[in-house]
Amino acid sequence: MSANGNQVSDAVKDTIYRSCLFLDDEKWSDFLELCDQSFNYVIKAYSPEISYDMTYFSGSRDEIESITDMLPKHNTDHSSLKRHATVYTVDVEEDGDTATAVTSLVVYQNMYDGVNSHIDSGENHLFLIGKYIDKFKMDGDNAKLVEREVRLDTRRLDKGTHYII
Amino acid sequence: MPARNHKQWTSPPPLKAGEWVDSRIYSDPDIFEEEQEKIFKKVWIPVCHESELPEPYDFRTISIAREPIIVVRGSDNEVRAFLNVCPHRGMMIERRPSGSFAPAQPSGNPKHMTCMFHAWQFDMKGNCTYISREEEGYQDRLKKEDVGLRRLRCEVKFGGFIWVTLNDQIDQSVEEWAAGSFECIRGAIDTEPLQVFHYHKAIISCNYKLWHDTNSEFYHDYMHYHNRVTGFNDEYFARKNVTFSNGHVNVNSFEVNYDQYEGFESRAELSFPTFPPNQWYMIDMFPGMNFNLRGSALRCDIMTPLGPNKVMIEFRGLGLKSDSPEDRKARIEHHNSIWGPFGRNLHEDLIGVTGQGSTMQTGSEPRRILHGRHEDNLIHDEVGLRHFYEEWGKWMDRMPSDPMKKYMAAAE
Repeated sequence: MSANGNQVSDAVKDTIYRSCLFLDDEKWSDFLELCDQSFNYVIKAYSPEISYDMTYFSGSRDEIESITDMLPKHNTDHSSLKRHATVYTVDVEEDGDTATAVTSLVVYQNMYDGVNSHIDSGENHLFLIGKYIDKFKMDGDNAKLVEREVRLDTRRLDKGTHYII
Repeated sequence: MPARNHKQWTSPPPLKAGEWVDSRIYSDPDIFEEEQEKIFKKVWIPVCHESELPEPYDFRTISIAREPIIVVRGSDNEVRAFLNVCPHRGMMIERRPSGSFAPAQPSGNPKHMTCMFHAWQFDMKGNCTYISREEEGYQDRLKKEDVGLRRLRCEVKFGGFIWVTLNDQIDQSVEEWAAGSFECIRGAIDTEPLQVFHYHKAIISCNYKLWHDTNSEFYHDYMHYHNRVTGFNDEYFARKNVTFSNGHVNVNSFEVNYDQYEGFESRAELSFPTFPPNQWYMIDMFPGMNFNLRGSALRCDIMTPLGPNKVMIEFRGLGLKSDSPEDRKARIEHHNSIWGPFGRNLHEDLIGVTGQGSTMQTGSEPRRILHGRHEDNLIHDEVGLRHFYEEWGKWMDRMPSDPMKKYMAAAE
């Protein structure tokens, strides 16, 4: 990989890991700052039960912003989601301006509400497993997210969540 | 009234019989086991949709009341259901949730159901076609003709759902069992084939009836910001609850103003056939299935009770099989925005019943759960709950308000 390629790769990894920290902390606007104006987000999963490649959630940057802005109007489970991510691959295009990355993802729920918070709070539950499949474009020294596909293996999601993954 | 002491707390509410239930119906292990025998093993249950097994030799596996079931499509295109149990040693024949018997299996031939344990094979009609070393082991004492699969009554009905019952003696067809409750959406779901585009499951710590209760009353719309801003007008409050025989209920429609929720859009252009724009009908079927048509997407909840305080809910979303890719994408977005696992409403509903489940665990002090709202059968009237428990009482021969008493004796 060229020196420039290494810089792009490092920038991509930095954006992915920062995105996890911002999402863990529910800092939605900080997460969106990592995203290009053309950003598109989708959560997908293949269901062998119905033999269908499903879309569980999708939204543009503006739609994500709108949804997250309205979270305080919704009742929700207050348990936070904590991401454990490992960037497996970063493929930098020849133009040196765009890249694709695949990140292994495990999301735990750090219980606050639970079924009975007296018992459950402080405990961790595995919430889902999957991958981030991200596309980036360089903006100076920073890699901006252009697309994020959260590709889930999990199809049993119990109470679900209002939060993006 | 100020907060109450224990005697006041446990005194009957100032409501009539039938306007509350005893929380033990949601938590008692004996009642749960009895429900499996007296209700779930006796009624029609929608187990999956025909689009989940589109080709001959496709199969789906499910269970009703702990009994494993396999649904297969034969070479004649007929869908049939069997117990997913090998008549030899009781092994579960097929372990995957879905697939095809067209290819060969490690222990068996193509186009057969094969029990991997000892390689017994069955055709798509449930006939046993092969017993390994049959004559050597059984001589002429037992033949293939003696060991066919246990067939189950099965119908494809109401938008292509596959209905199965464990009860050979059931005296009603699915049509008769539904008792007219599907008429409100019949044109919409039976004009052209449907296809499942969404599946996810939830296992929740609550009794199955609590989920059905939530689906049967709309008073809980106060929990949903989305429903408050897109509904809560005169037309919403004029929606009628309509009861049918066998414990089923309809919640009648009104025009939902989806564009009142920021970022959401009207669903008028993608209404199901014959369905007016942005209308919303719901069918709650005894003992715990729900069909919910919000104009452009159909949702179906199928519950599998797992214990007195544990239920699996399978959520399906359906569109028209003829959808263009663009229409399908829009339908999926409409479905997910409210009903997906990351949508606005479903999460809130599931939090609600989890909270109920946490206060009604086995051994919890019996409490009275109120079903006493009367508003001329309109949207916040709890007639749907009362109708369900009237039916439940008959099937169980127990009084919902005092489940240790017989239904008739307590009614006197």
